[in-house]
Amino acid sequence: MKLPINSLKEYTKAKLNIENILHILSSKIGEVEGVTNLSEMYDGIYVAKILSKKDHPNADKLAIYKVAVGKEEIQVVAGDKTLKEGDRVAYIKPGYIVPSTYKTSDEFKIKAVSMRGVLSKGMLCSEKELNIGQNHTNVLVLPSDAPVGKPFSKYYQLDDTVIDIENKALTNRGDLFGIIGLAREIAGAQNIPFESPQWYKENRSDIKPEGNILPIEINNESQTLCPRYMIAVLDNVQVKESPVWLKSILIRSGIKPINNIVDITNYLSVLTAQPLHAFDYDKLVSNDPNGKSKAQITVRLARDGERIHTLDNKIVELNSNHLVIADSTNPIAIAGVMGGMDTEVDENTKRIIIESASFNRFSIRKTSMDLGIFTEAVTRYTRGQHPQLCLPILLKAISLAQELSNGVLASNIVDSYPEPSLTKGISLSIPRLNILLGTDISKEDVISILKNIEYTISEEKVKGDYITVVPPVFRTDILIPEDIYEDIGRIYGYENIHPTLPLRDITPPKKNREIELKKKIRSILSNSGCNEVDTYNFTSINAIRKSNQDPNVAYHIKNALSPELELMRTSLLPSLFDKAQSNLNRNIQTLCMYEFNIPHIKGYVDNFNLPKEDWHLSLLFSSKEALIDGNPYYEVKRYFEKIVNTLGIKPFEYELIFDSSEVDLPIWVKNILPLFSTTGAALIQYFKNGNKIIIGVIGDIDSGVKNNFKLPRYTAGFEINLEELKRCDTLDNRKIHNSKYPPITQDLCFTVNRDFKYKDLETIILDQVNARNRIATLECLDIYQKDSDVKNMTVRLSIEHMEKTLTDSEYEKLREKIFKKVLVLKN
Amino acid sequence: MLKDFSQILKEIDDDIHTLSQVELKQKYLSKSGVISKMFKELKEVPDKEKSEYGLKINQIKTLIEDNIKNRVEEKLEDKPLFKIDPTAPFDINSKKDKKPHILDLRGSSHPLMQELEKILDIFQRMGFNILESRQLDDDFHMFESLNFPKGHPARDMYDTFWTDDNFVLPAHTSTMQNRALRKFGPPPIRVVLPGRCFRNEATDASHEHTFYQIEGIYVDKDISFANMLATIKSYLEEYLEKELEIRVQPAYFPFTEPDAEFVISCPFCNKSGCSTCHYSGWIELMGCGMIHPNVLNSGGIDSQIYSGFAWGVGLDRLTAIKRGITDIRKLRDGDINFLRQF
Repeated sequence: MKLPINSLKEYTKAKLNIENILHILSSKIGEVEGVTNLSEMYDGIYVAKILSKKDHPNADKLAIYKVAVGKEEIQVVAGDKTLKEGDRVAYIKPGYIVPSTYKTSDEFKIKAVSMRGVLSKGMLCSEKELNIGQNHTNVLVLPSDAPVGKPFSKYYQLDDTVIDIENKALTNRGDLFGIIGLAREIAGAQNIPFESPQWYKENRSDIKPEGNILPIEINNESQTLCPRYMIAVLDNVQVKESPVWLKSILIRSGIKPINNIVDITNYLSVLTAQPLHAFDYDKLVSNDPNGKSKAQITVRLARDGERIHTLDNKIVELNSNHLVIADSTNPIAIAGVMGGMDTEVDENTKRIIIESASFNRFSIRKTSMDLGIFTEAVTRYTRGQHPQLCLPILLKAISLAQELSNGVLASNIVDSYPEPSLTKGISLSIPRLNILLGTDISKEDVISILKNIEYTISEEKVKGDYITVVPPVFRTDILIPEDIYEDIGRIYGYENIHPTLPLRDITPPKKNREIELKKKIRSILSNSGCNEVDTYNFTSINAIRKSNQDPNVAYHIKNALSPELELMRTSLLPSLFDKAQSNLNRNIQTLCMYEFNIPHIKGYVDNFNLPKEDWHLSLLFSSKEALIDGNPYYEVKRYFEKIVNTLGIKPFEYELIFDSSEVDLPIWVKNILPLFSTTGAALIQYFKNGNKIIIGVIGDIDSGVKNNFKLPRYTAGFEINLEELKRCDTLDNRKIHNSKYPPITQDLCFTVNRDFKYKDLETIILDQVNARNRIATLECLDIYQKDSDVKNMTVRLSIEHMEKTLTDSEYEKLREKIFKKVLVLKN
Repeated sequence: MLKDFSQILKEIDDDIHTLSQVELKQKYLSKSGVISKMFKELKEVPDKEKSEYGLKINQIKTLIEDNIKNRVEEKLEDKPLFKIDPTAPFDINSKKDKKPHILDLRGSSHPLMQELEKILDIFQRMGFNILESRQLDDDFHMFESLNFPKGHPARDMYDTFWTDDNFVLPAHTSTMQNRALRKFGPPPIRVVLPGRCFRNEATDASHEHTFYQIEGIYVDKDISFANMLATIKSYLEEYLEKELEIRVQPAYFPFTEPDAEFVISCPFCNKSGCSTCHYSGWIELMGCGMIHPNVLNSGGIDSQIYSGFAWGVGLDRLTAIKRGITDIRKLRDGDINFLRQF
């Protein structure tokens, strides 16, 4: 919303010092986006008079003018040869900037130059160059009474400062999209009573036509979407340029002047925030297939497929969600959004219909979004305008049209307002107000603050701590006492509220287990050389396919930024594949990265039928080093075990995907399985009370997937579900054993066949050794496969006894038992 | 002297990514292929090195065969020749101490998470609980429970992503307010709600479609706007380790009334003007306000008895200005060289 400061003068006696206004706006109304000093923008431009004209000797398209600027006579070369002696024009002196380029990236400064051998000192401006209109082919000719030598900005009343207030902050304040509304707030903020102009409060609808009656009929078929529709017809209008004052206020408000009738409707909209529209009466009647020499206007929903040629010269196809203004048959305007070309007011228009209506803001918003049409009217209607205001503003439009176009009222005020909406009183509690704001504002101050901005408070409605107030009709945002407490707080001044900490009990807040868990793991991994990344949820069909996964279980985003970002990822690892690859392409040889995040899978839902959101942890290890032995599975397993050992959760079991016969896997596990190599990766399992919990999958990445992501052979990772990990028990740290007798340690080597599992060896040893008073500690030293059938496993076994020093022979006995057992299993 | 295998392994690594199955077979496994040649060279190797040399060649052969086999679609029909033992601590013929020394590399937690942990820690000390936000939610939580009726123009302030199934990607952590009120009620309720948020907007050095926000709510008897100012100020002073001047300017959010934008004196230049505060001396940090009675009521809290405030602060921009990151996109591009500096 653009606010030209000088325009406030007419409505309030408030002090209009720029600094003060800016302070009020930003501390009590909304964020200021920008301040434009127009005097500066139009600096160096003067009203000049053409003294003489002659042809340019070297250029057919140029003319040489002698112009008078005050007492000075100056020679200017121009591309417009149509100017005549005596014409008044806007002239820029050398050294000054063309307004249309002011504060843009390519500011254009006028210089005295020779144009094809003739000196030109300055420039004669077009409307476009002056930033006040569209015409750029001709030099703007000013009215003949324009005072020669006067600064253009003074003459055009552009010696003003325009403040741009961010619309967002005013989303619920329809009234502040009008200059009068802002004048009221500024006065209120300065503790000066504001009174709306008399015409703004006018409620007389009985004015009579002055001449011929032009027949018109309105038919409102959609009262819910159009609570009020009113019009008046004027005859004998002369459509022409608006006077300078009217053009000026529009220009300062960022609207290009068009002609007096359109300008009047825009002017009132800028002043009051109530949009108006003007139709050409004769065009409406003659275009209507069933015109019968009478204007018929219907407010109705469009029929599917109906089209309209809009004022911005586009053909727009409508459907039954869109409210239109129609003649007996066809739409002539998209209600509250944009008018139609077929009934446009132009220089030949003689009779006009002025519309002042109230439309449902939600309906306007939907239509505007559907059609992608955003106009000043849409901005204002969607912020909420009260139907009560339609009448006074229509009356003002009629009177301006009479004054500026010699129009004659040719109809009654035709009004469809089936259910007048009334404003209700709201009861305020002064103690509650002060509790909510943390202030000590007196009842008298509350009354004065509210009265200044035109709330109605009658004496008898003030009872003790309670006041019943009636908000002014234009404040469609005021519904509950809190809305008014905000008004009071704003105007009283938030800066006058003293920050005070709340009093609270000393109950400690609960720890959030998930946050704590992530924090611990984050610390373990970052202390183990891993780097945490934070990657997008968005992915593409292609990327999911590259990971061997099913794109159909991914949620699809309707309004995605691009096809690359149209799906929600179903697991985290593929994002790490992508990031690993781009890092390995740079100077990184070996990396280990991890991420905590939430994947989403269709069909995986919680108790409320919302997508179930489990936190996952994914880790990826990848190395380009050529001389690494073994399967990378073991690499990432070290990280996993580092985590769970530090957390004190044990033991986990690893089942090779290939060997797993599990059919009833959770959907999130099924979804990540295809990322892994079946013979080089395992399910991580935990047994709790005989139930198996799958924590995640760990190991070598499927070689096809590695190929697709151009990842090196030595790449492995895991993805685990923290929701499941949280279910595992931590070791009971009250059962700590400690022997004072020295342990006996020996290295044992077993030759076993190639499919023999380390786990089985470990189980045998622990079963044989562990007893009430004896504890085994086992460390694997080597696994060596000589040929394709057998391998040697070397372990270091320490045995501790709680009550005595073990003898060699006791150790020997245990060892024999172990070897016997292994031999049985081996065969 | 054992032959250096690194050259050949490097070559294979490249070939695996570039050659087709047939080409690979041709180059390595055919009669005149690389591997046959290597076996022929075995004769010249001194006896004591022969076995290790042979093993290496076999490993290379396995590697190639494995790769070729894995490219065949029906993997399950493969013979389980190359199955690993997932229960073992390391692979056959590969001792632990030969592993790459990633543990020596510089690990790091993500800068956003570092800041998040600091902030959550402060709020915990101030007596707040924590509940993490969702990443896919419904219209009720994102809009309706927050006093945005269907079709409300204020919904346009949030450029929201929607899925085909009409789930919404939260554009603010306020999506958790209703749940937090229900979970931690009856008052006193003190809770911070961190989480990922999404906005459908083009990405540049200072805008992202994905970002973190931290919502906070405080509901109790007699909670005031003045309490809100002091609570947010105390938190920020603790976090930024500086005394701050504060200011609020009016804003509009359907779920708060009164609502405001919280502005602090620039902690980097002490109001003398710098690029962080765009030479204004002030930084607009977050939206805040007194929770709208409709929001309290829809969360099962009687707005006649209780009142409360809420705020929502973006983490990314805070992190960027605090850590001197000039391009916010750097936070999510996963560049290890960048991350290792945190």
